[in-house]
Amino acid sequence: MNIKQDIIWRVWLTFGLLSLFALAIMFYAFKIQVIEGSKWKSMADSLVSYKNIEATRGNILDCNGNLLATSIPIYDIRLDLKADGISDAIFNDSISILSSKISNLFKDKSAEEYKNILVNARKHGERYFLFKNKIDYNFVKQLKTFPIFNLGRFKGGFMVEQESMRMMPFKHLAMRTIGYKNEDNTRVGLEGAFDKELSGINGQRLMRKISGGMWMPLNDENEIEPANGKDIVTTLDVNLQDVSEHALMMALEENLADHGCAILMEVSTGEIKAIANLRRKLDGTITEDFNYAIGDNTEPGSTFKLISVMCLLEDGLAKITDSTGTEGGEKKYGEKATMRDSEPGGYGTITLQRAFEKSSNVAISNFVTKAYGKNPKQFTDHIIKLGLNKKLGLQINGEATPLVKTPDDKKIWSGTSLPWLSIGYEVNLSPMQMITIYNAIANKGKMVKPLLVKEIKSFGSESESLKPIVLDEKICSDATLRSLTTLLSGVVEHGTAKILKNPNYTVAGKTGTAQVADKNKGYTDKIYQASFVGFFPAENPKYTCMVVINNPKRTDKNGMLVYYGASVAGPVFKEIADKVYSTNIDMQKKTLDSTFSKAKIPIIKTGSIHDFKTICSSLGFNYVYADADEESDYVNAGINDSSYHLEEVRIHENRVPNVIGMGTKDAVYILENIGIIVRLKGYGKVTQQSLSAGTPFDKSTIVELTLE
Amino acid sequence: MNSNTAIKKITNLTKGDFAIWIVVILLSLFSMAVIYSATGTLAYQKKGGHTEFYLLKQLIFVLVGFLIIYFCHLVDYRYYSRVAQILWVASIPLLLYTLIFGSDVNDAKRWITLPIINTSFQTSDLAKIALIMFLARQLSKKQDEIKEFKRAFLPILISVVVICILIFPANLSTAAVLFMTSIVIMFIGRINVKYILLLILSGIILLAGAIFTVKNLPTNFVSKMGRVATWQSRLENYGGDDKTASYQNEQAKIAIATGGIFGKGPGKSTQRNFLPNPYADFVYATIIEEYGLLGAFTVIFLYLFLLYRTIQIAMKSPRAFGALLAIGLSFSLVIQAFINMAVAVNIFPVTGLPLPLVSMGGTSLWFTCFAFGCILSVSRHIDENEAEQQKTEAERLKPESE
Repeated sequence: MNIKQDIIWRVWLTFGLLSLFALAIMFYAFKIQVIEGSKWKSMADSLVSYKNIEATRGNILDCNGNLLATSIPIYDIRLDLKADGISDAIFNDSISILSSKISNLFKDKSAEEYKNILVNARKHGERYFLFKNKIDYNFVKQLKTFPIFNLGRFKGGFMVEQESMRMMPFKHLAMRTIGYKNEDNTRVGLEGAFDKELSGINGQRLMRKISGGMWMPLNDENEIEPANGKDIVTTLDVNLQDVSEHALMMALEENLADHGCAILMEVSTGEIKAIANLRRKLDGTITEDFNYAIGDNTEPGSTFKLISVMCLLEDGLAKITDSTGTEGGEKKYGEKATMRDSEPGGYGTITLQRAFEKSSNVAISNFVTKAYGKNPKQFTDHIIKLGLNKKLGLQINGEATPLVKTPDDKKIWSGTSLPWLSIGYEVNLSPMQMITIYNAIANKGKMVKPLLVKEIKSFGSESESLKPIVLDEKICSDATLRSLTTLLSGVVEHGTAKILKNPNYTVAGKTGTAQVADKNKGYTDKIYQASFVGFFPAENPKYTCMVVINNPKRTDKNGMLVYYGASVAGPVFKEIADKVYSTNIDMQKKTLDSTFSKAKIPIIKTGSIHDFKTICSSLGFNYVYADADEESDYVNAGINDSSYHLEEVRIHENRVPNVIGMGTKDAVYILENIGIIVRLKGYGKVTQQSLSAGTPFDKSTIVELTLE
Repeated sequence: MNSNTAIKKITNLTKGDFAIWIVVILLSLFSMAVIYSATGTLAYQKKGGHTEFYLLKQLIFVLVGFLIIYFCHLVDYRYYSRVAQILWVASIPLLLYTLIFGSDVNDAKRWITLPIINTSFQTSDLAKIALIMFLARQLSKKQDEIKEFKRAFLPILISVVVICILIFPANLSTAAVLFMTSIVIMFIGRINVKYILLLILSGIILLAGAIFTVKNLPTNFVSKMGRVATWQSRLENYGGDDKTASYQNEQAKIAIATGGIFGKGPGKSTQRNFLPNPYADFVYATIIEEYGLLGAFTVIFLYLFLLYRTIQIAMKSPRAFGALLAIGLSFSLVIQAFINMAVAVNIFPVTGLPLPLVSMGGTSLWFTCFAFGCILSVSRHIDENEAEQQKTEAERLKPESE
């Protein structure tokens, strides 16, 4: 065999062996794919998963676009104390500086405490150590600059996890109505009721785990974009809400009351402009933890008399001029039950109108028992026709179920049910239901459902308006309406609510002073519920307002408990109504018109001639300029009968000018323009200046202006 | 200029076996596609998502590699006999230097940096090719007395052992594979089969002894010698059942299993994110994942085809050196390729050997290109020889036809 052939067979043999090896590789690849395939494929899936991309929760806004609730990002800081970049040398070198910097930043623990926390965490080899919970971005930004942390995620083990937190910029304002959603899915108020709209739809992104435990998006096509939550525009007005809560709080404190609520409703739309719910805790602090306005159904007491009278009038069974006796202020129904008037001795024989204005229990129940005594069902049917036995179906949860006793229900209906029902007992209604009835009277008989949310706004698509819902087009005839309005106005004019009488606007309403039954003791304990519900202006109602205050415990100087609706709830009503009046130009117009012609021309502050001319020409005032040949920039306007008498204000370069009578803007402008440093005290117009006019000054002169 | 003439121009420029050129180009294209996809994780972590970074880097390496092939194939292969001798001698101090002063990567001193061009390379890559070339030289020179123990077998064996022992501490698998390849080449070079068998036997005993020692080394010694721990864990992982199978093997199998017959398509690999070295050690798993069994078998076929063509060249080679050089180098490349694939499909434990021409890597790619240059040089010489023979034949025939 020659050399060449000897080599060739060896080569082919080796080639053959290598080919066999190649076949083995192919077989193994095939084996992994086909024979073991399902096992490995199932393992592949666990490395790729859908991760939620949380949708941003929508905002809750008031009617003017102020944020009532919004989501802000907050951050958790986690530390990997075994990160690659933290060698013992680096850790030991930096730990003291790091701890003191952290301590300085948060000011909650000493540097030593922080050092211990970090050293211990490192000792235990913590790789996902929750270091700080729910901090805002500014802290994160600062922390990132600290030693070790500035090495970043992988080397320094500094991990920032973003979450979002619900924040209410107006803190406690309408807290219960705005509500919340807990992690355990407790849903309260608007946050709860509109959770679906606010939440939006979480997106999904297919992510895969890459080495180092990081998740990386797999590809774009599988991604579901999150649909951010919609904004909820409420009917609330933060300013009115603020006033309502403040007035209610003052009333609770002053009357040592347990709890109370106040509702302000726009007549024509049923929009709730303010809804305040407060409770005074045993330690005297005020909290908001229950929506009394919708969830507290109690026996309303005298405010219910409106409904009784409405029934009487509508059913044609009485006129407001009809009279009845008041039985000396006490009337016995059966053996045990005695109906009493608050006025000892009663009111003698009085008309229905007077009975209403004075809130005579004996008289009203007399009218009702006389009219419906033989057929009490007619009375209860009428009440039920008004929808008072059903929930209103508000936009938020938590409405109490009302109760109206009827003769059909033999178990609870008794001989005394009718007279007591007529004066607001034997019936459970929430303040919201009561205000809805009063609002219907104000709204010419049209009963609208209270509205809390009027718009659902979504970015990039048509927003959805929630229109007022009419519950009853006409709850009673116009004649009845007129009579009822007369009665309600009478209560304020010469009845129980005289304290609400004022020269600016008219009020029509009804006081209520109900004795609250204790579950165990009945009516024996003197627990009262003082309320007032009414609308204003009486002749052309714009707003209806109801105030309920429970268990007032204040006693007057004679040691008598103060619990009447007018004196306890009335002031809250007044404060709210005053605020509405002062901010509502429509309501003021009439008053202004009538007094305008008699009014003197207003005082105008010393100031710019141009501003002055603009004001005078637009309002039609006359003015006379004393130095007609030379006009200065600033003038002082004296009043001469019904025109202004202008004098120029001279400004010399090196002398302090006279700025008394000027507004802040002009005074500061003039003084600082010539190099004087200005300090201000108070607000309003300038009444004093610390350096008198004509005094020489230099560059560092300070002039203090007193404003009033 | 139409495309036909362009191709002609290129084929005129490049000489040597056209099929081998095609294999080189196809493998390089495969390499680019797979690397572009497989470096996703690396680029995401280190280069801020600029995935083109590694692609461009590889492209540059490949283009330089092509230049190396081109220039090397222009050199007359007979010069390589001398070059082999010089390289072999130079390898010894270089390997020693590396063992002592080389830069530490994963507890192994494998790399040195060339002073002037400032490129680091694995000295074992150089030593490997030097040894194979030197074997070709030795075997061809000693063909007359090849069956003798002292005059042929012993000196040849020594030249192999010296290199392998110097590579061994830093790179066990390279040393083992090189030793095995050397035995194959010695067998092809007509060394007495008796001695070869003896060598294989002692090799097996040595290897078994080494494995036994590594497995039973006292732990405090292991912790001092980082590499030993790596060997231990690799061996343990390979020996164990599926539950203890190492992470990388599991990930490789997931890649292979999810690839299917046609693959997920270029750039669609998901396992590249979990495989520790999807662009080097486990590049074959990535190939199966993206191009399926079809792509995987194509790559195997390309290597076998390379081997087949080289054998054709060797058979035509008038000189033993040319034949042994071409065969030695191509067998060395293909054996390494198959071992890399065998690791990916879990026939072998993890070795860390790259897939020639396909794995990402700079200087090791250039050494592979140098090997291809040598093979093509042999082939070019044969072509020219044939052409010359035809010419003389033609000239011889000329007067007769007149």
